[in-house]
Amino acid sequence: MTAKLVVEGLSHHYPDEYTGIDVHALDDISLEVEEGELVSVVGPSGCGKSTLLNILAGLLPYRVGTATVDGIRIEGPGPDRGVVFQEHAILPWRTVNKNIGHGLEIKRMPRDQIAKRVQEFVNLVGLAGFEDKYPHELSGGMKQRCAVARTLCADPVIMLMDEPFAAVDAQTRITLQEELNRIAMATKKTILFITHSVDEAAFLADRCFVFSARPGRLKAIVDINIPRGDRIWSDMNANADFLAARDEILKLVREEVSVATEE
Amino acid sequence: MQQRNDATGTQGPGLGWRINKLLQLDAMNLVILVIAVYIIWSVISALIDNPARYLPSPIAVAMSSVDMLYKGLLPSYFGDTLVRLIFGSAIGLILGIPFGLLLGINRTVADMFHPIMNFFQSVSGIAIFPIIVVWWGNSDKTIFAVILYTAFFPIAFNVLSGVREIPIRYISAARTLGASRYQIIKDVLFPGAMPHIATGSRLSIGFAWRAVIAGEMLAGRQGLGWMIFTGQDADNTAEVILGMVMIGVTWIILDHYLLRPMEADTIERWGLVQR
Repeated sequence: MTAKLVVEGLSHHYPDEYTGIDVHALDDISLEVEEGELVSVVGPSGCGKSTLLNILAGLLPYRVGTATVDGIRIEGPGPDRGVVFQEHAILPWRTVNKNIGHGLEIKRMPRDQIAKRVQEFVNLVGLAGFEDKYPHELSGGMKQRCAVARTLCADPVIMLMDEPFAAVDAQTRITLQEELNRIAMATKKTILFITHSVDEAAFLADRCFVFSARPGRLKAIVDINIPRGDRIWSDMNANADFLAARDEILKLVREEVSVATEE
Repeated sequence: MQQRNDATGTQGPGLGWRINKLLQLDAMNLVILVIAVYIIWSVISALIDNPARYLPSPIAVAMSSVDMLYKGLLPSYFGDTLVRLIFGSAIGLILGIPFGLLLGINRTVADMFHPIMNFFQSVSGIAIFPIIVVWWGNSDKTIFAVILYTAFFPIAFNVLSGVREIPIRYISAARTLGASRYQIIKDVLFPGAMPHIATGSRLSIGFAWRAVIAGEMLAGRQGLGWMIFTGQDADNTAEVILGMVMIGVTWIILDHYLLRPMEADTIERWGLVQR
């Protein structure tokens, strides 16, 4: 196994948008994500999860520490790192097909090849029959499926997901989590998944990075050795590995939440 | 809401359907409205003294249009006015849309230009007329300059605001897909600013329409504005009213057959506005 994403000694400060007070968001983060692995990053709000994602996406410049994908230092956004955003970030003026194929269009792939590949990903995320719909005609869950397909279709080295299922209803969220598990199994894509939901982190991840309250530090790494094929929500209450991992993550996060509230 | 035709896989409704839709100017409503206006107008005209001077009857106005058609003046005046409107506002839009887009890309540049654009947007075409006359006299060039000026600022100003209002996450998403600056303009900023481009175009063409008429009156050239002005001079009130009716009807047709379908095909189809 080779590490696809390597972060070493990454720290980040920024002035608060309104008060101008210096915010210490990330403190000396070092972590690695192996090829084909799905890791989750979980922590109390304000622990710098989103700051980390924005740095990895190349949307936020950083000075202290290094972050590399396939050995190449991250300097700005690039198609090697696909991002699925929390809010609906698929383009309202493009149909499902055109959104999913956008990355390939940007790469100037020939039209017929785009169409073929897009159809593959439409099927993968279960949007067949909705190819020519516009985003406003889709449900929240379908919009996020479209966003996932758009990211995967561009074939990034790593897919970064920023609380992608936070804005959908509970029932849809469960379905989307199971589908992401299936997609991870089918595509063997390397995925970094940010969430504030302990259940979600434990259900999806091979390894879970637990972050401390601000400034965000890597507090612990929890291994979750459940075969992907066994990850079905209806079985999870009887799965000792899942319950153990979830309880451990929950305990680690609770400590941080109480630290944050005491301050 | 429009539904696409799944059987044929075509985008949106067919051309025939579209033409049919356009022709339904709510025919019954229109007929009732025209009859009502005709009756009220005729009654008032019949009750007042000297209607030929103060308010000629609809029939008198219609007769005057027949007269002007016969002399060939009406088509020629109308043609002049329409050509001015089309050229003036088309060039205004062609220059104004990219100008607004380019200014909108950089926040510093946008903030710098915002008050300047706002200033010129508020100084109406008619207010700059005198200075243009000083430069170029009562000429076609003067009228054209005023129309162009009037059309340019509302669209440029609106596009500038439109680009600024596009959610950052759309731009971020395109950037993470590897989009170049040009691709971001083409795929995100331009379509994202479409609601404002539509509003701005409507304002620009509407203001340009007013500017054409005013320009023709002030600069004393052919056209509907000129027709109204000379009609008053010659004590030919029917001709004045005929000019007014022509102006209003032309706008309604432009709006219904050009501007509304443009909006329906873009911003409404994309769900960017709800009606």
